[in-house]
Amino acid sequence: MNENLFTPFSTPTILNQPATIPIILFPAMLVLTSKHPINNRLATIQQNLTQLTLKQMMMTHNAKGQTWSLMLMSLITFIAMTNLLGLLPYSFTPTTQLSMNLAMAIPLWAGTVMVGLRFKTKNSLAHLLPQGTPTPLIPMLVVIETISLLIQPMALAVRLTANITAGHLLMHLIGNAALALSTTNFSLTLLTSTLLTLLAVLEIAVALIQAYVFTLLVSLYLHNNT
Amino acid sequence: MPQLDTSTWFTTIMTMLPTLYLITQLKLLNTNHYQPPLTKNSNLQSHSIRWQPKWTKTCLPLSQPQQS
Repeated sequence: MNENLFTPFSTPTILNQPATIPIILFPAMLVLTSKHPINNRLATIQQNLTQLTLKQMMMTHNAKGQTWSLMLMSLITFIAMTNLLGLLPYSFTPTTQLSMNLAMAIPLWAGTVMVGLRFKTKNSLAHLLPQGTPTPLIPMLVVIETISLLIQPMALAVRLTANITAGHLLMHLIGNAALALSTTNFSLTLLTSTLLTLLAVLEIAVALIQAYVFTLLVSLYLHNNT
Repeated sequence: MPQLDTSTWFTTIMTMLPTLYLITQLKLLNTNHYQPPLTKNSNLQSHSIRWQPKWTKTCLPLSQPQQS
């Protein structure tokens, strides 16, 4: 039972070749680029969404922070497309792999810390101590703030992995239960409606991407500006 | 838990890095955002703003010598 539940999260192989390579590359192919000034509806929708997201995200930053806009836009596009495609049945979601999320979180967080330490050393180090703390508490509080800073990349990676994995697992479990109870027709309707609402709620996977990018943004903002 | 099987970690990370940092960014760079062509103000009035002395003399009635 344990092996059956977790097999959707093992990296897929086709004839023992890793199939993760085309699976990870695939959502990036769905971004349309065209040279025409006026496109068809799909391309226009994508362009408008990109511009809307870009303006929303980059409004709070100064000029130095806005140099990161391409990085953050590609991050949110990649994670959003990957998570949404993973909602299809029998598909593999690369963001359930802890390896990928760690490889995304650690370099980006380290980059924000480096930027803050290099250009505004005093300001970024001053974040380790909140304002108005009583003097005897200062050493302990610096240690606590350092630990909370160092745990940020881990929290980013594990948050994304755990949320997407848990959502997928829940859908598998409820679907299996609904199938097993289909012999007694009464509970079937109840469970399938629960599954459907859970699927709709799982479109909060997109909200999770917002959470990812926004937490990254918050750390960038803090390190960069204040 | 199959996510902790580190044999596949190298492949996954190595595929994700060019996808995220190369392909997606290039695709986003190559989307051209065209402005609608009617919103630009045309500067057709600029050459008539500059006042030349002869125009000032003929146009402003108070600057002419008092005749009538």
